[in-house]
Amino acid sequence: MKAKNRILMLLSVVLTMSLLLVACAGGNSGNGNHATNAPANTEGNTEASDPPAASVEKIELDFWTFWGSETRRPIIEKMIADFNSSQERIVVKHTFLPWGDVWTKNLAAIAAGNPPDVIINDINTVAQRANSKQVVNLTEFLAQDNIKDRFFEELWNTVEFKGEAYALPFNTDTRFLFYNKDAFAEAGLDPETPPTTWAELEEFAIKLDKKNGNRYERVGFYPNGWGNWGWDSWMTNADNGIGFVDKEGKVTINTPNKVEALKWINKWTDRLGESTVNAFKAEFGSKQADPFISGKVAMINQTATFYTQLRDYGKDVNFGIAPIPEFKEGTGHYSSGGGFVIEIPFGAKNPEASWEFMKFMTDVQAQEYWAIKNFDNVANIEASEKAAMNAELDEKGKLVYGEAVKNLQDTKIFPIPEFAPDFRSLLNPQGMLLF
Amino acid sequence: MNAESNNSKKSVKRSRLTVERREALQGYVFVSPWLIGFIFITMGPMLFSLYSSFTNYNITSRMDFIGLDNFVRMFTTDSLFWISLGNTLYYVAFMVPLTTVGAVLLAVMLNQGIPGMRFFRTIFYLPAVLSGVGVYILWMQLLSPSTGLINTLLGFVGISGPAWLFDPEWTKPSLIIMKLWSVGGGMLLYLASLQGVPKQLYEAAEIDGAGIFRKFRTITLPMITPIIFFDIVTSTIGGFQIFQEAYVMSESGEGGPMNSMVFYNLHMWNKAFKVFDMGYATGMAWVLFMIVMVLTLINLVLAKKWVYYEGSDR
Amino acid sequence: MSADGQTQKRRYYQGQRFQERLRKTVVALLLIGGSAIILSPIWWMVSTSLKPMEEIMQYPPTFFPNEIHWGNYVRAWTSPAADFTRWLMNTAFITVCVVIASVFSNAFIAYGFAKIKFPGRNVMFAAVLATMMIPGFVTMIPQYILFAQLGWMNTYLPLIIPSLFGSAFFIFLLRQFFMSIPNELIDAAKMDGANHFYIWLRLMVPLIKPAIATIAIFSFNGAWNDFLGPLLYVNNESMYTLQIGLQTFKGTEATQWHYLMAASLMVLLPVIALFMFFQRYFIEGMNLTAGTKG
Repeated sequence: MKAKNRILMLLSVVLTMSLLLVACAGGNSGNGNHATNAPANTEGNTEASDPPAASVEKIELDFWTFWGSETRRPIIEKMIADFNSSQERIVVKHTFLPWGDVWTKNLAAIAAGNPPDVIINDINTVAQRANSKQVVNLTEFLAQDNIKDRFFEELWNTVEFKGEAYALPFNTDTRFLFYNKDAFAEAGLDPETPPTTWAELEEFAIKLDKKNGNRYERVGFYPNGWGNWGWDSWMTNADNGIGFVDKEGKVTINTPNKVEALKWINKWTDRLGESTVNAFKAEFGSKQADPFISGKVAMINQTATFYTQLRDYGKDVNFGIAPIPEFKEGTGHYSSGGGFVIEIPFGAKNPEASWEFMKFMTDVQAQEYWAIKNFDNVANIEASEKAAMNAELDEKGKLVYGEAVKNLQDTKIFPIPEFAPDFRSLLNPQGMLLF
Repeated sequence: MNAESNNSKKSVKRSRLTVERREALQGYVFVSPWLIGFIFITMGPMLFSLYSSFTNYNITSRMDFIGLDNFVRMFTTDSLFWISLGNTLYYVAFMVPLTTVGAVLLAVMLNQGIPGMRFFRTIFYLPAVLSGVGVYILWMQLLSPSTGLINTLLGFVGISGPAWLFDPEWTKPSLIIMKLWSVGGGMLLYLASLQGVPKQLYEAAEIDGAGIFRKFRTITLPMITPIIFFDIVTSTIGGFQIFQEAYVMSESGEGGPMNSMVFYNLHMWNKAFKVFDMGYATGMAWVLFMIVMVLTLINLVLAKKWVYYEGSDR
Repeated sequence: MSADGQTQKRRYYQGQRFQERLRKTVVALLLIGGSAIILSPIWWMVSTSLKPMEEIMQYPPTFFPNEIHWGNYVRAWTSPAADFTRWLMNTAFITVCVVIASVFSNAFIAYGFAKIKFPGRNVMFAAVLATMMIPGFVTMIPQYILFAQLGWMNTYLPLIIPSLFGSAFFIFLLRQFFMSIPNELIDAAKMDGANHFYIWLRLMVPLIKPAIATIAIFSFNGAWNDFLGPLLYVNNESMYTLQIGLQTFKGTEATQWHYLMAASLMVLLPVIALFMFFQRYFIEGMNLTAGTKG
């Protein structure tokens, strides 16, 4: 009796557990996804695609991006659809994965040998990925069709590691000075004459400050961390657009001009006071309330795409744009940029098909579409120029986009060299200590 | 006679043995799900990470044995390692006692049979439900020096609040305050535990004329010590692994003003996924393991002095 | 003398009652004050969820929305970039599996650690604790490779199966609860010839109902809010979960804060409902020793 009881209990527990297991596993495959039964790389459930033709086996590519928002997703998916209908052989499926995490997952997938076929990745770290064999070397494909010339040179430089390309530039950004014309008029400045040098910037900013007792009602400008620009960008702006470490490993952190840039920023902090600086920095950091759109800050360095926010949420802001002010007259209006590349993760099953897709995505048609829909700078030169004249943009849009394309000439990108991958973390406290 | 008694002794011994064996067998059956999971799912990756801490593993292409290099580098040349350890210890030292005391007090208050108790419990539990990046962004807004709710409220009572996340002195207190806000999770544990305190004990104490504080000290507190112990151990372990809030609130892991938010796991994450120095990161993980293990063992030893189990250890 | 004693007694009880009422009032006031503090950040979410984007971008931010946009909730749920209804079903499915598995497995395992003596128990329990001490991201990649080799990619198995094996946190927690139960109870049952499986199911589990409810709430919460798990193991957008869905409101330039907050609040509702439901197990005076008499 006792023994029987015990066995019964044991059995019931084991049974419950295994039932649960079966229920969960079974429910899973019954959940409308065939993928459970098929290995990940041969899954065939792209929702929109037609049933594959019986004779020709189509190559399926998985394309990972972090563009899942309701503005960007339709754009990237339209480009993919265009590619899918442009040829018979390859079908691309888009998978959205959230910003940042997309690359963590990519890394795990490469390590496990089941990466996506194509991915959008950071432009500044191509060398690191090439060095640790996370991406496919493109030399062989480029030898067949050399498309190097379709890209801006500054961008192409970022994808090369030891003289060989590992990715194709996709999009980029550039920063310039947005200023509030109404505030200029109110402060007795000419709304059509933005500051061009650091000295002018400071002079104008002081005139634009509006104080009520101890509180600032409006701040003309502050150089560090308001908007999309910080101390490091000023340092390179002052130093002829030279970064901190170059590809050969030459370190240029403590040059006289860079040090002067830090001292200059310090002067602003002293004048405005730490609490004002932090208060606005927090607002800009929250990415919600925007003091420039609300007219509380008169000038700000921002990316060209900031225009879309002014267009959508700041209809009353009468703004102008100008190149980043230069260190001294004639030193150059150096701006800084970033962006993304399109690449094949190491271990992808069909690199040749991936290459076809990448070629399409960086060609004029796709790139122009991306440019006008997103108001984003693209890597393709011809597409950039065409986009600036595209009839879909309104007058203001054309003006801003045209300026953005022009600004690319002065825009420097500072890829992180593979031998000093965490130089920024070393730089950061140093930069801060100088303050 | 003699032989017989000997015999019976033997049989008693044998039956006790089989009882013990049967008992043990049942014990193994009970823990077997965990054991299976441990052997097949958890142990492999753990051992892998232990081995990789002696290599230059970069996840995708490299894994050469380099002996103790990672550890030497950690202790001698990586200043951020020590900064991150210091920041983390600071956080744990304040967070653990504060949240423990907070959770106990809250649970006791929420166990008083006041009208609307379900409602109150839900409210206090809410923050524990809210998780992820959204909450941290919410808090960045609340802690905003000029327009944030916290400084606005402080302003009403004439205090000019600090710059919180922008002041290296205040970044860690900010995170601790945020943790205190979501103390509802711990509260729930104590609430569950309080349900097990026999009512007769209180009644008996009341007859002896005990006031609420004496009842709390002599009955409630001892009865919930197993959970206090649990809370201290697990929140210490969790505190050492603080990561996501620091990552979100310091601009994707930049570390905050003067590196004041570079916590141990944040530094480790940067090493593993920004620089791909996974060997080094796993080394850090195992150093952390040693530290936390020692603290836990100390806790376990001390527990014998203050934790009261109604059903003493068998 | 006896009348005197009566009045004394009555006065004593009146005093008691007054004290009791005073205590409850003080506690109630404290709780109301505390609720205000707890809720004010959440108010910020609610307020943002009801504003139009133009107002969200305003500086200084407004505490109350100028005009209330309930439509944000509908708009968020039916966002063209997401499929929230489907993702809700997926999340619910995973969560239910995880909760059932967790409750059973952890209660089962913890009993073994708490109430049965067997060789190697302490070593094993130390191992349970040890698994909590290794930060997840150093075992994440090898674990991913392991699941990939098992052919579990793009299924929910990596999210559900591990919960069948218990989790260190829950095992430890339930062990503490089991250890608070007097052993006499078990001994008495054993005298009656019951084995541990019977004792576990019939005697022990009912006694720690509040703790089991806690496990249910916690594991629900954990599975519901899990972000990295589904993200890593699912490759198909039709299998995504709500937490991934929330990310679609984050744009490259501007985040749709109103929709993000509205959707976050909606995602929160089932967790609150579940918490309310499970509170029935937190009844005061649930009595462990009563079992012996019963």
